[in-house]
Amino acid sequence: MKFTTDIVIGLEIHAELDTQTKLFCSCATKGNQQPNTRCCPICLGHPGTRPVLNKKALDYATKLCLALGSKLTKEIVFSRKNYFYPDMSKNYQITQFEEPIGTGGTITLKTGRKIQLTRIHIEEDPAALAYTHGMKNSDSVLVDYNRAGNPLVEIVTEPQLTSPAEARDFLNRLISVLGYLNIFDITRGIIKADANISLKESNYSRVEIKNISGFKEIEKALTYEITRQKTQLRRGLKITRETRGWNPTSKTTLSLRTKETEADYGYILEPDLSLITLTDELIHLMKKEIPELAQQKSERYQREHKLSKEDADVMSMELELAQLFEKVATKIDPKLAARWLRRELLRVLNYNKKTTKEIQFNEKEIIELLSLVQTNTISETTAQKLMEQLMEKPFSPKEHIKKHNLEQVTNEKEIETLCKETIKEHPQAVKDYHAGEQKSLHYLLGQIMKKTRGKAEPTKTTKILKKELKKKEL
Amino acid sequence: MTPTTKTPSKKEIQNVLKECETHNKKHHCFTTLCKEEAQKQKKAKGTLSGIYISVKDNICVKDVETTAGSHILKGYLPKFDATTIQKLKEEGATIIGKTSCDAFGFGSFNTNVGKGFSIPKNPHDTKRTTGGSSGGSAAITQLATFPHVSLAESTGGSIACPASFCGIIGLTPTYGRVSRYGLIPYANSLDKIGIMSKKVSEIEPILKVISGFDEKDGTSLKEPLNLNAPKKLRIGIIKESYAKGIDPEIQKALKSILTKLKQKHTITEISLPLTTTYGVACYYILATSEASTNLACLSGLRYGQELPKKNKGFNSYFTEVRTKSFNQESKRRIMIGTFTRMAGYRDAYYIKATKVRTKIIQEYKKAFKTYDVLISPTMPFIAPTFSNIDKMTPLQNYLSDILTVGSNLAGLPHASIPIGKKEGMPIGLLAITDHLKEGTLLQTLKEIEALQ
Amino acid sequence: MKIDTELIQKIATLAHLELTEEEVKTFKKDFKEILNTFSILDRIDVKGTKSSFRPLEQKNILREDKIKPSLTQKETLSFTKDHKDGFFIGPKTIE
Repeated sequence: MKFTTDIVIGLEIHAELDTQTKLFCSCATKGNQQPNTRCCPICLGHPGTRPVLNKKALDYATKLCLALGSKLTKEIVFSRKNYFYPDMSKNYQITQFEEPIGTGGTITLKTGRKIQLTRIHIEEDPAALAYTHGMKNSDSVLVDYNRAGNPLVEIVTEPQLTSPAEARDFLNRLISVLGYLNIFDITRGIIKADANISLKESNYSRVEIKNISGFKEIEKALTYEITRQKTQLRRGLKITRETRGWNPTSKTTLSLRTKETEADYGYILEPDLSLITLTDELIHLMKKEIPELAQQKSERYQREHKLSKEDADVMSMELELAQLFEKVATKIDPKLAARWLRRELLRVLNYNKKTTKEIQFNEKEIIELLSLVQTNTISETTAQKLMEQLMEKPFSPKEHIKKHNLEQVTNEKEIETLCKETIKEHPQAVKDYHAGEQKSLHYLLGQIMKKTRGKAEPTKTTKILKKELKKKEL
Repeated sequence: MTPTTKTPSKKEIQNVLKECETHNKKHHCFTTLCKEEAQKQKKAKGTLSGIYISVKDNICVKDVETTAGSHILKGYLPKFDATTIQKLKEEGATIIGKTSCDAFGFGSFNTNVGKGFSIPKNPHDTKRTTGGSSGGSAAITQLATFPHVSLAESTGGSIACPASFCGIIGLTPTYGRVSRYGLIPYANSLDKIGIMSKKVSEIEPILKVISGFDEKDGTSLKEPLNLNAPKKLRIGIIKESYAKGIDPEIQKALKSILTKLKQKHTITEISLPLTTTYGVACYYILATSEASTNLACLSGLRYGQELPKKNKGFNSYFTEVRTKSFNQESKRRIMIGTFTRMAGYRDAYYIKATKVRTKIIQEYKKAFKTYDVLISPTMPFIAPTFSNIDKMTPLQNYLSDILTVGSNLAGLPHASIPIGKKEGMPIGLLAITDHLKEGTLLQTLKEIEALQ
Repeated sequence: MKIDTELIQKIATLAHLELTEEEVKTFKKDFKEILNTFSILDRIDVKGTKSSFRPLEQKNILREDKIKPSLTQKETLSFTKDHKDGFFIGPKTIE
C-alpha cells in the first residue's frame, strides 16, 4: 500500500452487543457483579458442551453491517482462533476468520472524509483478569468468567486515519451509529481497540498497540505512541515492526512481541456451529429496523431547517439529542432551538457530567423555555440560569418566571427612565464615554442589568442608552 | 435382552453390578462402576425399564466421574447429563458404569489408555485386544448375561472395530442423528454416538430413544428417524475388500455370507477408489486438526489436573500440566493436528482434506444411487495380540482403520456384525447405508443375523 | 518437506507440550512416516470443490436470546481447589 500522509492509523474496534444472553450460551450478559456467577459449563469451556449461536447477536451485527454499508456475506461461518491465555476458557476463541459477516463499508468523518472499513465480524469476549498486586508483581492471576462469551463485534478500518483526533472523531461517529441502532449500551458496554500506527519518518514501519480500553484512552495511546516513535527517530533509533501493549495506569506503551514471534493461530472452522444463511427476508427485516442515522439527519437539518453544518452535526450525533431537537423544532424556530440545545444544554450537561440519556425533563420544558426566549419575554441570561436549574429538577419555566417576576423589561418608557437614572448616578463614566471610551458604555449597561437583575432587554437598552448619552453631549 | 418394563429392584441392580465387578477383574471393561448412582438414580417407568446401560467414558453422566479415559480429567464430575443419558434415564434405563476407552478415543486397540487406567482384554482371549476406542463397551456387551446394551462412540471406526474384534453388533448412526451434547469431543465433525448389543433387535428401542434434534447441539438432525427398509436389498460389495492386506480367511467368511445373501438380494461389486486411496490420510488430518483444538481446554485451569501452585508464567504452567498429564498417543495426535493447521501448511493439509472429504462424500452418494447397502469386512484382520500391537508403528496403527474411516468421514450409518470366526476370534462384516437410512441398515443386520 | 528438530520444537511450543530429546527423535520419525502417507493428497485435484466441514449440514440452528439459569458460584468453582474470593486462580500472565 502506498501511504502519503505523515501519520497512518488503522483501528480494530471491539464493541459489546447489548444482548440479554451470551453469544453461545444462555447465561446473562449483565446483572450479578459477583465473580463467576454468570457462567455455565459452555462458557467455562467444559468438555462435552456445544456452542449455539444467539439469534439476537446475529441480528444486531447484520444491522450494523447494513448501516455502515458493509457487504453482507451469504453464509455465516465461525472459526476457532487458537492461542493459550488464562482468560480463554477453551484456549481458543470462536470468531470469524475466513469470511466475516461484513466486508467493506464506510464511516464519514466530520471533515467529510470517508474512512473505509475492511471488515466487520462477530466473536466472543474472553474472561476478565484481575491482579492482587498488579500485573508484574502478582504471583498468579484471578479469573472471572462472567464476561467470557459476551458477544462482540469487531470493526476493522483500513489504515486511513491521519491523526489521533481523527481517530477520536471516527470513534464518536461509530458510537453514534451503534447508539442509533440500539445495539450497544453506552452506559455499560465497553469499547476496546487495537490500533496500528506508522509514521512517514520511519518509512511506515508498522507498530500495533493492543488492548486499549475506552475510547478516550485510544486517543491518549495514539498520541503517546506517536511522540515515542518521533523521539526514537530523533535519537537516531529505528522503529521496528512490533506489537505493544497500552498500560492505562502509567499511560505508556510497552513492547509485547516482535515480528519474529508473531502468533500462529492455526484457525480451523468451528465444527459445532451449523451454517447460517443470511436470507433476503432477514436482511429485509433488519433493513426496516434501521432508523434515519446521524449523517442523514445532519444533511436533512441543513436542508430543511437551514442549520449550519456544525449545528446540524451536533444535533444529529446522538439519537436522544436528535429526538429532542426534532420535537422542539416543531414549536420553536429550529435555528434558535439548535443554537440553544448545542450551546446551553450541552454546556450544562458537560458541567454536570451527564449524558443526554440522563436528562430528567422532556421537550415540554425546553419548548416553554425557548418560546419565552423567542418572544423576548425573558432575557438570555435568565434563560441560561433556568436551563441550569432545569437540570437539577424539572419545572414549568412559564410559571417559574411569573412567580419570581423574571419577565424581561421591554417597555421603552421604563428603559428610558432606567437609563436616565443610571446616567445621573455615574457622571465619570458618562464623561469618559464622551471622551471616546467605549468600555464605559458596557460599564453603564452593566449597571442597568444589575438594577434589573438582568431583566432589561439588551438590544433596546443599548439603543436607548446611546440615545440618552447623545442628548447629554449636546 | 428382553425388555421387562419392570423397574429393577435393589437386589437386581446389586447382582448386575456384582457381575460387572467380576468381569472387570478379568477384562477391565469399566473405568467407573456406578455402585451408588445406579441405586440412587430415579427410576422412571418407560420403554427401557429393566435395561442396564454401560456408557463409554467420553459421555458425560451427571456426578459420575467422566474422564474420556484420560489422566488429565481424572476426578472430573460433570454437572450435567449428556442429552443421550438424560433421554435413557427418562425411559427408565439404569446406567451401570463408564467403560474403558483409548484416552479421548485416540486408538484402534484400546491400548492408549490414560495413566492409571487398565487396558481391557478381549472376552475371547485375554491376550488379545478388544479393539478400540470403545473397547470396554464391546467387552462388557459380549460378557453381560443381564439385559444390557452399551452406549459407545465412533470417530473413525471406534464402534465397528471393537464390535468386530469382540464379536458383537456395533451400530453407528448418521452423523447428527444422535445429539453430541455431553460427548467429550475427539473430532466434532466426525464424532457419533452409537450402540453396541448382542442382538440386532436390541438396537432399535435404544436408537428410538436417543435419536432426535437437540437444541443444545446445533449439528443434530431435524429429520425424523426412518426405520423403513426395502425387502429386497441392492447390495454392493466393496471391491477393495478383497485387496492384499485383508486376511484371506476374513475374505472367505465374507464370501460365504454373500453366497447366502444372494439368494434373496442382488449383489454386485463396486469400487470406491477415492475413499480407499485418500480416506485414511483425509481422516487423520481432519480428526487431529479438530482434536488438537479440542484438547487445548485441558490445561490445568478451572477443572481437571492442576499443579499445586500457579506461580509461574502461563505458557510454562500450561505446558507443564499438559506434558505431565497427556499420554504418548494424545501428544502425538495433538502434535500432528497442530502441524496440519499451522500457517504455511494449513492449506496443503487441513483445507485440502476438507475438500477431499467432499469428494469422498460424493463418491458414496453416487454409489447409493444404485445400492441400498455397501458391504466389506470391518477390519483387515482379527483382534491382534498385545505383543503384536507393541510391534506396530503409529502409521501401521492408523492404517488398520482403512475400512472404517470412509463411512465415518462421510457421516454414513454403518454397523459391524459378526459373520464367523478365525482361530476362535470373531470376524466382523461392515454394512454401510446412505445418510438417514438407519432402517435399511437394521434390515441388513437382521438378514445377516438370520443366516447364522 | 524437511522435518527437523526445529519444526518439531515449534509445533510442541504451539501445542504447549515439552518434549524430551528422546520424544523429539520419535516424533521426527513418526512425522516423516505419517506425513509421507498424508502426501498422497497431493495427487487429487480439488480445484472447484467446496470444503465439507461436516458430512451433512443442518442449517440455521440459532438460539433465542433468553436467559437460562447459570451455575451457582459454588458449583462453578467446585471443579477446582484453586480459587479465592469467588475467582479462579490462574497462572501469571507475564512469564
